[in-house]
Amino acid sequence: MKSAVETSILHKLADDNLESVPGILNEIRQNSFRTLQTSRFPTRRDEDWRFTDLKPITRTDFTHIEEAGVKSPGDLSEYFIPESINSRLVFVNGEFSSEHSSVESLPEGVTIQNLYDNLNDESAARYLNQLADYPDDIFVPFNGLHFTDGAYIHIAKDVDAGSPIQILNIYTDAEKPFIATPRSLIVAEQGAKATVIEEHIGLADNSYMTIPVGEFKLKKGSHIHHVRIVRDSINAVHVSRPVSYLEKEAEYHSYTITLGARLSRNEPKVIMEDEDVKFTVDGLVLIDGDQIADTHSTLDHRYSFAESHQLHKVVVNGSAHSIFNGKIFVQRDAQKIDSFQENRNLLLSTEGLVNTKPQLEIFADDVLCSHGATIGQLDPEEVFYLQSRGMTEQKAKEVLTYAFALETIENIEVESVHKLLIEEVKKYTEANNVPKVTA
Amino acid sequence: MLEIKDLHVTVEGEDITILKGVNLTVNKGEIHAIMGPNGSGKSTLSKVVAGHPEYEVIQGDILYNGESILELDPDERSHLGIFLAFQYPVEVPGVTNNTLLRESYNTIAKSRGREELDPLEFDDYIQDKLELVEMSPTFLSRSVNTGFSGGEKKRNEIFQMAVLQPSLSFLDETDSGLDIDALKIVANGINQLHGKDDAVVLVTHYQRILDYIIPDFVHVMMDGKIIKSGDKSLALELEKQGYEWLENYATVNGEAK
Repeated sequence: MKSAVETSILHKLADDNLESVPGILNEIRQNSFRTLQTSRFPTRRDEDWRFTDLKPITRTDFTHIEEAGVKSPGDLSEYFIPESINSRLVFVNGEFSSEHSSVESLPEGVTIQNLYDNLNDESAARYLNQLADYPDDIFVPFNGLHFTDGAYIHIAKDVDAGSPIQILNIYTDAEKPFIATPRSLIVAEQGAKATVIEEHIGLADNSYMTIPVGEFKLKKGSHIHHVRIVRDSINAVHVSRPVSYLEKEAEYHSYTITLGARLSRNEPKVIMEDEDVKFTVDGLVLIDGDQIADTHSTLDHRYSFAESHQLHKVVVNGSAHSIFNGKIFVQRDAQKIDSFQENRNLLLSTEGLVNTKPQLEIFADDVLCSHGATIGQLDPEEVFYLQSRGMTEQKAKEVLTYAFALETIENIEVESVHKLLIEEVKKYTEANNVPKVTA
Repeated sequence: MLEIKDLHVTVEGEDITILKGVNLTVNKGEIHAIMGPNGSGKSTLSKVVAGHPEYEVIQGDILYNGESILELDPDERSHLGIFLAFQYPVEVPGVTNNTLLRESYNTIAKSRGREELDPLEFDDYIQDKLELVEMSPTFLSRSVNTGFSGGEKKRNEIFQMAVLQPSLSFLDETDSGLDIDALKIVANGINQLHGKDDAVVLVTHYQRILDYIIPDFVHVMMDGKIIKSGDKSLALELEKQGYEWLENYATVNGEAK
């Protein structure tokens, strides 16, 4: 088929070898290939991309992972969460690593495995690639065309997975820039409970692009606590699409912490499939240097009775750039919605840049939606207060930056992850790079 | 201990002069009260002594133990034993009272030649300070001033003063916003903390707190200057007559009569 769109690096690297995989995967690849051919690579003329500098993608000569000369990861144990000692899936550049994974003695009804080995599972057949609905998007079909392995988590009816589940995505050093396509499918049956810690860690400072796609299906009354930590290489591109579907009385609480990547674009979506749900899409972004961190979220209230919460906090230093676009839909007849959205930005430098756009589209009349966006510097009065108690100006600024950031990670229940993030926040604030606030 | 000489102060980057020649001497063991109407410069004076970066001294000097402190940062002044109880204490979510105080205590202790305390020693040390302002130990594990009521914030300031043991304390409208019970607790705390080796400067609108803390000197500030000083009876007179009679007084003084 002749392509009707301008060819991009993703089109060039699209794999057209579609024969060698089992049934359902083959079908996904066929579909993805077709979609990809007609999908356009975004430009800044597109409303949803107009603030985002895509040069880190368009000016990099990405190649197929097989030709990139990727190095082996070596010992990874420092990245293992102690609470997930027997519930850990590890992927190296998107490929499942059974050597580093550990899924032993799991409770009855808890499945944590490589997706490739579970393609015939009923849930996989039913939901895989069915939930990731991102119209006109080129990244989802690119992932669909290329993933083979992935995280597959299934929690049976009324089962509590207990220990948090770690999905550890490791990216190794390589001779050439490559593209990885991690994939995950998480299905919580009625009344099931699970905590998922999804991490993306670059081991070196090489250039690569990762395009993780995650599909979450929460059936009636199920609960999922989802932590995403982006610690990609400082020269990496991270484009992610985590999507969640919530049935009646389900609860989905997600916390995305973005520390790494040269360019990150996160597009979380939460979609109600029935009434009476609760969900959280919180974010913390700490960026510096020439990093760009872009969050475009969609919270789709399609039915009545929902509580949603989105606190997106950003600290910008150096000449970094943060973009936030928070879409909140309340569809017609979706009444009694209580939706909170707030984007707070702390600018530590004069060269930093913040674009923020809360976007509420409300078609029902009995709803409570609060939203706000603030961009500010550290309050000189607060700095003075701490200085008058003996702290140096530098220390006072660190403490206040730390306090600003902390609020978003307070709700992370896994102790080691909570600690890790506190350390990461401290590292960021202590990097001795907080410039003087000019009075 | 403190000598303020002909102090002229502007807001940094602006043309407005707020303090227009303040002279004030505070000696060890003394309690001073500075009174005056809104906008007279009382709060500015406290902040300037503590080193607030928003203000610029354009004339005059502040000597502390005989040396000018104008070039010192606020933290350096606190290390010398200068303390400011804020009119509007700042909330610092995510940092507990205990953490802030131990850090402050140890930083200041180090520079004043006192012994630093480890967490356990500090816990012991802090207990009777809590009792002084009748604060529950649960305050220690709460974030600094976060969600505190107005009265709790003011009490917390005096608690900090108790812990840090400053030599010179400026208390900026610590009494405002306190109900009568809280006012008594705060005043009692200040009285107990005050001794022959330190000095306290109360900045206040009202005579009320002076029923509980007896000042050695009362000063009246108006339009950026101290226009009258006296003993505690001056405060009572102000309470009776308001500031108006002094405005005339100021004018009379102003025109070389």
